[in-house]
Formats: sequence, C-alpha cells, structure tokens
Amino acid sequence: MQQGKNAPLDKTAALKICRSMGQITPDSLIPILQKIQGAYGYLPAEILFEVSRQTGLHVNHMFGVATFYEQFHLEPRGRHTIKCCRGTACHVRGGRDIANTIQRELGIEEGRTTEDMRFTFETVACLGTCFLAPVVMVNNDYYGTVTANRIKSIIEKYV
Amino acid sequence: MRQMNARKIRSPEELNKAAERAQKAHRNYRCRVLVCMTGCRALGAAEVVAAFREKLAAAGLNEEIEVVETGCIGLCARAPVVLIEPYDYLYGRVKPQDVDEIIEKTIREGKPVESLVASENGKLLPTIGEVGFYKEQQKAVLANCGRIDPKKIEDAIARGGYQAASKALFNMTPQQVIEEVTKSGLRGRGGAGFLTGLKWRFCRESPGNEKYIICNADEGDPGAFMDRAMKEGDPHRVIEGMIIAAYAIGASHGFVYVRAEYPIAVEHANIALDQARKLGLLGQNILGSGFNFDIELRMGAGAFVCGEETALIASLEGKRGMPRPRPPFPAQKGYHGKPTNINNVETFANVPLIINNGAAWYASIGTEGSKGTKIFALAGKVNNTGLVEVPMGATLRQIVFDIGGGIPRDREFKAAQMGGPSGGCVPMQFLDLPIDYDSVKDIGAIMGSGGLIVMDENTCMVDIARYFLRFVQSESCGKCTPCRVGTKEMLHILDAICEGRADIEDLKKLERLAKHVGKASLCGLGQTAPNPVLSTLRYFRHEYEEHIIMKHCRAARCEALVQSPCRHACPAGVNAPEYIALAAEGRLDEAANLIRRRNPFVSVCGRVCDHPCERRCRRSDVDEPIAIRALKRYIGDNVSDFSRPMARPAAGKTQVAVVGAGPAGLSCAFFLALMGRPSVVFEAQPIPGGMLSLGIPEYRLPKKIINDEIAFILSHGVELKTANPIANVRELLDGRYKAVFVATGAQTGRKLRIPGEELNGVMDALEVLRYRALGKAESFDGRRLVVLGGGNAAIDAARSALRLGAGKLTVLYRRSRQEMPAYEEEIEEALHEGIELHALAIPKRIVGDGHVTGIEYVQARLGDMDDSGRRRPVPIEGSETILDCDVIIVAIGQTPSTEPLIWENGPQVSKWGAVSVDPVTMATCVPGVFAAGDCVTGGTTVIEAIAGGQRAAVNIDKFLGGPGRLPGDVGFAFTPPLQENLMAVSTREKEENLPVRKRKLNFHEVVLGLEAKQAIREANRCLRCDLER
Repeated sequence: MQQGKNAPLDKTAALKICRSMGQITPDSLIPILQKIQGAYGYLPAEILFEVSRQTGLHVNHMFGVATFYEQFHLEPRGRHTIKCCRGTACHVRGGRDIANTIQRELGIEEGRTTEDMRFTFETVACLGTCFLAPVVMVNNDYYGTVTANRIKSIIEKYV
Repeated sequence: MRQMNARKIRSPEELNKAAERAQKAHRNYRCRVLVCMTGCRALGAAEVVAAFREKLAAAGLNEEIEVVETGCIGLCARAPVVLIEPYDYLYGRVKPQDVDEIIEKTIREGKPVESLVASENGKLLPTIGEVGFYKEQQKAVLANCGRIDPKKIEDAIARGGYQAASKALFNMTPQQVIEEVTKSGLRGRGGAGFLTGLKWRFCRESPGNEKYIICNADEGDPGAFMDRAMKEGDPHRVIEGMIIAAYAIGASHGFVYVRAEYPIAVEHANIALDQARKLGLLGQNILGSGFNFDIELRMGAGAFVCGEETALIASLEGKRGMPRPRPPFPAQKGYHGKPTNINNVETFANVPLIINNGAAWYASIGTEGSKGTKIFALAGKVNNTGLVEVPMGATLRQIVFDIGGGIPRDREFKAAQMGGPSGGCVPMQFLDLPIDYDSVKDIGAIMGSGGLIVMDENTCMVDIARYFLRFVQSESCGKCTPCRVGTKEMLHILDAICEGRADIEDLKKLERLAKHVGKASLCGLGQTAPNPVLSTLRYFRHEYEEHIIMKHCRAARCEALVQSPCRHACPAGVNAPEYIALAAEGRLDEAANLIRRRNPFVSVCGRVCDHPCERRCRRSDVDEPIAIRALKRYIGDNVSDFSRPMARPAAGKTQVAVVGAGPAGLSCAFFLALMGRPSVVFEAQPIPGGMLSLGIPEYRLPKKIINDEIAFILSHGVELKTANPIANVRELLDGRYKAVFVATGAQTGRKLRIPGEELNGVMDALEVLRYRALGKAESFDGRRLVVLGGGNAAIDAARSALRLGAGKLTVLYRRSRQEMPAYEEEIEEALHEGIELHALAIPKRIVGDGHVTGIEYVQARLGDMDDSGRRRPVPIEGSETILDCDVIIVAIGQTPSTEPLIWENGPQVSKWGAVSVDPVTMATCVPGVFAAGDCVTGGTTVIEAIAGGQRAAVNIDKFLGGPGRLPGDVGFAFTPPLQENLMAVSTREKEENLPVRKRKLNFHEVVLGLEAKQAIREANRCLRCDLER
C-alpha cells in the first residue's frame, strides 16, 4: 500500500484480518503478523497497536516477535524485493560477486531500500534452489545460474 | 482436466476403487508429458508448459496427450526438464521453441529428439534409465516425485497413496505400527539420526490424551532442498506418514511448519491438505476408521533456529523462537506442554514405505546401523546438480562422480560439505567411505539433512568455515552466552585469518573456543556451530597456516589477501593482469619489463611454466581461462630489444655467492642485482641453466632462448663461473662471502629397486636428458625403448629418445593416465608422435642376460585410497606380461642434491636429502645460508624455483642490512576491460604446433606460439580482476 510517510494508514485490511482469524489464542500471533505484512508490505506500528486493541494480543509480544524473525519488517519496503541467495552452494559458485554487483547497480547496501522506494535488497540464507546456484529472487520470480552481466537486465524488468 | 468426485472415501475398499478409477483415467491418455514445475520454474518451465498446452490443443491432441505439471524430476542441472511417458525419454534444457519438434518426433512418431537428450562420450542416452545420473540411484521415497501432479490427489491415490494409512488404521494396532517402524531401523532424517520408532514410543508412553504431531519442514540448512522437493512434489506422502504417526502415538492434531522462503511448498501443501480433507483422508473419521486427525499449516518467519524442535514449538506458540533446555523432551512436554512428536519431512515420507512393504524389506536396504535410503541435495562444484536418492552406504565417489558426473572443467575434488552449518567437510581421502550416520560421525562430519555441497580446488576452506560461522552467528537466538558471544568471537578470529591479520596463537584460541562453544551451548545450533571449523582444521590445517604465516590463500578466494587470483596463484607474484593489458595495447617492451620485476625468465616460462595462474583465472567462470602462459611467450618472443638491461649493473663488493645456475640460483642473483648487490654464481656443469638446459629438451625450450635470458640476467651485475663445482658450501662462508644461496637442485634420479636394475641398458632419464643437452648423446639406432614413469621427465626422455632414433617406444606408468603428473599437452603430443602409453602397469623385474632384453610388469586396477589421497594401484593376479625391449629409461623421481650442505652443525637436511628452510625467508638454520628450489622441495616446477630464488634474494638483502624491496610492479597499464568482454562468450586462442612429420629426428621447437592477432584478441579477454579494488 503506497502511503505518504505521515498520513494515517487505512485500517480496513487490518480489521478484516483480525475478524478472519476466529478465536484468538497466543498461537495466532505469528499468522496475524504474516497476514498484516502481506496486506501492508510491512508492519506499521500504528497497525500493530490497532491489532492489539482488536485481538487482545499484547503489543510487547508483537514487537518481541516482529524484531526476532527475519521475515518481519517494521519499516516500509520497496515495491520490489530483490533477494540474493547467500546459501552454501551459491556461495561456492560466486554468490558474493552477484551480491556485490547488485549493490553497485542499485547503489544501496544489503538490507536497505532505494530512495525512490523501488527496490529493497536483501541477502537470504538459502532459497532452496541450490542446483541453480547462484540464485537471485525478485518478488516471486527466480533467476538461476545468474552471472554479473545479467543483473542489469533483470533489474530493468521491474518498474 | 478431470475433477475427482468430491465424495468422501469411507473405507479401504472405496480407496481401492478410487485408485482404480484414477488409474483408468490415466489410461485414457496415450502419452503423458511430465514437466517439472517446481525448481525448473526458475528457468522457464511455465513457458514450456504453456507452449505444450497451446500447441497440443491446436493440433487437436489434448484429449490423447496429458500435460502434467510435476514436482522435481531430479536432474536439476538440465532444467527445464521434461519426461515423456510411456517412452521415458528425458529431455533437458527444453525451451518453448522445442515443443513443436517434440510433438512431431516423439508424440507422433515415438522417437527421441536427439538435441535434447543426455549424452555420454558421444553416445546418446534418450531414456531416463540409461542416464548416468539416475542409474545408481534408488528412488523409493522419491518414487512419485516427478511422475505425478502434486496438486491432484487422485494422481497420488492412483500410485498407491494412502494405502499404508489404510493398512495401519484397519489392520494394525498403534503398538504394532510403532514396532514395525522400530524394527525397520528408520532413523530421523533431519540430521540427528535418532531412532524414529523409539521417539514415537516415548511419545505414546507419555501420559495424556492431548498429543501432537509436528512435521518440521523448516529446512534451514543452506544448501539443502530435499524437503522442499518432497513437499512440492509429493505432499500426500508426507501427510500419509503423519497420519500413521498420529495413529501410532495417539495424536489428533498435527502441524506442518514450512519455512516462509518456500512459497511453492506452502501453496502445494495447502492444496494437498484441502483435497485430503475433502476426500475424508484427513479430519474426522479418516477412511471411515473412526480415527480423527487434522493438520494445520503454519509458516516460519525466517529464523534458522526454528528448525530446532523446542524453538519450533515456541514459534508455533506465538513466541520468539528460542529453545529451552531438555529434558523435558518434546515427547514428554512439547507444544503447550503436551506430548509432541516432531519429525522431519523425509522421515515421515519413509513411513508409508515401511508400512506397505514391511520392516524386513526396509531393513534390507542400507547398512548395519543405517537403514533405508537417503535423499541428498547435490549442489556446488558438480556437473549434475539435483536431487539424488541412494541407499545408505553409497560412497561419496558414487554420489559425486558416478551420479554427479564429476567436477566441472575437470578441476580437482577438494571436499564435500555434509550437514550444512552443523556439519563438516569430507575430504578426498574418504571418497570411498560408505556414507551412513555413524561412518560420517567418525570422520568429524554429520549426515545432516542431506545437503551435499561439492567443493573444488578453487574453494578456500577457511573461507567456508568463516561462511558457516557468519551464518550461525546471525541466526543465533541470543539466549545463551556460549553461542551468542562464542560464535561472534570465533567469527572475529576467522575474519582476521582471512584478512591476513591473525597470528598462530589465534589458531589455538579458535580451537579452544570451538570446543567450549560446542560443549556449553543450550541447543543444537550452538552445539554444532563449531563443527565446520573443527572439521576444516582437522583436514585443512595447512590452509589456515598458509593464510596466517604466508598471507596466502591457495584457492585465491579471500578478497583481502588477493588482488587478482592469477597474481596470487603465481608463486612469484607476477602481475599478470597488467602485463596482459600492456600486451593488448601493443606495449610489449613494457610488458616484458613488468614481468621481469618478479620473474626474469619471460620466454622460458612462456614455454614451460605449468601456469597455476590459469587454474584460478576468473574468466573460466564465463567461458575459458585466459591463455596467460601463451601470452607471456608472445611478449618474450616479440620484445624489440631483448638484451637491453632494465637497470644499471650492480656494482661494488661482491658479498653473496650463489651455488647452482639453475632458475632458482639465477633468479636470486638477478633480484639481488636489482637491489644493488652483485653476486657470483658457481655452476658445476659446463653450461648454465640447471634443469632448463639439462632437463628440458630443446624441442620444448630452444637453447637460444635460455641463453638470451641468461645473458640478460648476467648483464645486471652477475658473475658466472661454470665448470666450477663447490664441494662444500662451508668453504664459501669461511671465505669472502657474507651470505650464500644454495640452489643445487635435485639432479639424481630415484632408483627403481627391482631385480635386473643393474643390467646394461638401464638408464636414468635425467642422465639421458643431460647427455643430449651437453651434446654427448648417441643415437639409439632403432632400438626398442621402454620408459618407466609418468612425470615430465619421463615424457621428455621418451620424446627425446624418439628424436635420437629410438624404434618402438613405450611408456609404462603404475597409476592411471589421469593421475600422470606430466603436462597434459606433453602427453598428447607424445601420443601423436607415436609413443605408446600403458597406464596401470607396475614393473616387476627387468629381464636380460648381462644386457636388457625386456621388462616384466603386471597390470593393475585402482583400489582404495592411500595416504596421499590417490587410489592405490592393485596388481591383478596372473596378468604378468613381458614387454620386449633393449633399453629401459627410469624416470620415477628426483632426489635433492644436497651433499655440499652436509657439515657438522650445518643446515638441517632430511633423510631423503631435502634441506629445511623457513618457508617465508628461505633461510636455513645456519645464519647467512639460504636455499630454495628443487634441493628444498624435491622435483617441482620452474616457477616455484624462481619464486624461491626471488624470496631468498629479498631476505638476503635484509640479512645484509638492506630494505629487501623488489621494484614496484603496479600501476603501469590503465586500460579498463571492454564491457563487451563481460557479455560475449568466447573461446581461448590456441597455439599452433609443428606438424608431426616435421618433427622427425630433430629437436626443432614443437609449439609455435601465438600470432599477433591471436595475442591481441586473447589479451582483450582479460577481465582485469585487479581493477575491482
């Protein structure tokens, strides 16, 4: 959801998600966070507070969990996420060079988002497609046996 | 597409009927086109499926031909993979453009499309059963994967899905199920290898009615993708295993915990669970048995530690994924304090097989302590990456070479990493070890979940340890200090080692820390985090030491130590990228000058160097390595004024003596001269050059070339005294010299020590070569020759003897052709010239009466590994053969010539004659006496000798009070590489050879060198890795 940085966020999606969870138990915390992030692209603090109000789940538990797991982001993300695999097979087949190339092309370090909010660049420990090493994933698209000279054309596909 | 009747299956009979119906539905199709739509999607499988559907519909064939989107077919290296039933033709690298041909040739005519099938040694292997990758596998657990659509439950049912659950629920008691699984010997496939049946029993025996089953599909090990393939390709098998387990332990609720990074697995799991529920195979009253069990899918949130069972449970409970101490084990107190049984995906997938076929069948597969099969995810530096299933007890050699097809570009196998960040590396001496849980543990690794990463000579083992440690450090949950702080400290030390900042004390510290972290950590993550470090230290300690002491990374990987891999790999540190760039610009004199700042033998090395630089060249990741040696030769041969010195001759008092005018001695003298120190070189033989002149034949290295380069060296202030042997180096020290450099080489051939060696006609290869070089050789007059040995000296002697008039020439080598140390090009040319080669031939005795008449040898086969990591040749009984001949030349090794170094309290000389020196300074234990080259290492390469001389010169200068500085050699060339070079795939230029017929009985140079156009083109292929800094 594209929003201005300071405008209040639309809570409709969050409310819908809370209602769809049925009976809330401590177990529900991670699935709720996953759904919220699916709707908003990240975990906005004010949405988490709203979810706490709706479900009774404690905010400090939410933040505790959100800050523990890699998957959860408390900051807005780019429109597209580039994941460069740094798994063993990819490492052995030159994954680091690919990550460096992406870094150079985008001008941002790993874990950061471009100024224009177009790309967030992360490295992932393993995408499970080791036979295609080295691997780059953009959103849900996999690119296998990537070489440095292909990075530019891959990036250009995503507006 | 057919829909399954959405009527619940209420009995085993109904299940059988459903299976029959589904099988019948399949029989409506005359042909099935199976396309992997899991992993292969990354390389365009979806477009291939779309093309098939479109074109088959257009041709009106879609009622007869079924297009099936399957799971992993296995040979991922050839993605996208297509399998056509009933022919079982296996097509790889299929593109949408190929679909028309497949329809024409295969679907209409039943013939294979040759361009898409695998081939080996030129022979086409169209069916999946013939392909090497599949031949040695045993697809039991993976039987359905790649043959069914995982999104259609009826496909699974057609192939026997849920029959085991039916059998268990109706024909067995829970106790019997547990007994069967226990008797089978199934051990947990997640990595720890705990007996599954026992684990189930513990859970069953725990008091309470509320119990849980959890399937751990978190597969966090980098390099593992077995579980992903299983969940994406045959999810019903896993569900079935869970149902049986739930029945056995008395659980009614289960979870599948899949990591978030596997979207396709999540999608397929959801579809499978939904379909199973609709058919009454999950939920209330399964199959009408009265047994209730349902499964909920939960996704991980990106924490490796959640693969640990107590952390996983915490995550299910909505908490931070932190483990807790055990006991109590999950089997007693797990999810929300209730008895819980957690198993890995593959473990569950094995269960239906055991129930269907019986424990005895299962136990007949595998080894004594490890039953059944294991799925491995084969990746890394291996040709056939993909999914492999083999019985326990298969060897690494079978997996990596027979199934995996070996290492790309014929590089050397270094190690296989097993068990991910908890595991260790298995080096080449264990290639023939039968792999099972216990054997792998004995050698310091673990079976792990199945990730098997193959590493070659370009992999730095220290970097690998650092890589894994960085991973576990960032994944450490932080709860316990040994893991949280200990892994961080270990990582700091490894970073220091890889960056050249560590000292040898740090290595001891690393080992101590490793042991403590392993012992004191709370959970498996911390307990096994040190394994990669301990394992690489155990087998590759020398690499750690090289990083620390020599600041050298032999794989040329550690960025902080390596400017460009070629330069780093060169023992003399020659700045290859810059001289190549200068050559590309036509600045040949400057290029030669640059080379000479580290190696004065430009034209010589351009002909005979074994180019370790090329083995590390990064261009080979694109296409082929740069022909660096050939370029160096081109430069040397085309310098405008070869003899012009690069500096004013060194003048002043001569304080240094050099013993031996071979490459090591002359290089040392040259660099001393560049540092302003004149020296005198004493040479025992009448001509200088050492092995260059007396070992390497003229057709490889013409006399003029050597003499020109020696003259160049001498013109810098080096005095040469030939025919001047030094009996004992001590006399030089007592005289006017303050420092002595000894480079007497390894001139004596090793003795064969077999009967008949003393007969006339048995010659030493080094002697034959030396006589020829000194002009004393006589013609062999058509006599039949046998050369014993496989190194360069053997081939040199053979090809020289041919030119000296030998008749039939045979080379006998005791090991295999691939193991021959001689340069491949030399062996090739020897064969072209008509020399015969018998590999795996072990000489037994020389036959003759006063004079040689023949040699008796036995054939051999390759047996087990010996300590050097090579397979021992084992004589084949009764295969003794006598090869008739008149002359035997022995070339089985060289011993160092270090007699001049023997005196009381003199330098340390080993029992086989090599002198000991400090590897960095080349100093012996006697102050002022330095040594390098073959007299230190035994017979090795020219560039090693030159590097030794160079290093010694630097340290002699320091010893005598100088700065020990070689001339600068960076910053001469400025041209950046062309962008097009990175994009275009090209081939490497090859030097022409003199035609064989023109080589008869003469010693004309055989290799002709690059033409100017070739050289410029080749030089422009260089990626200028040095500019990355």
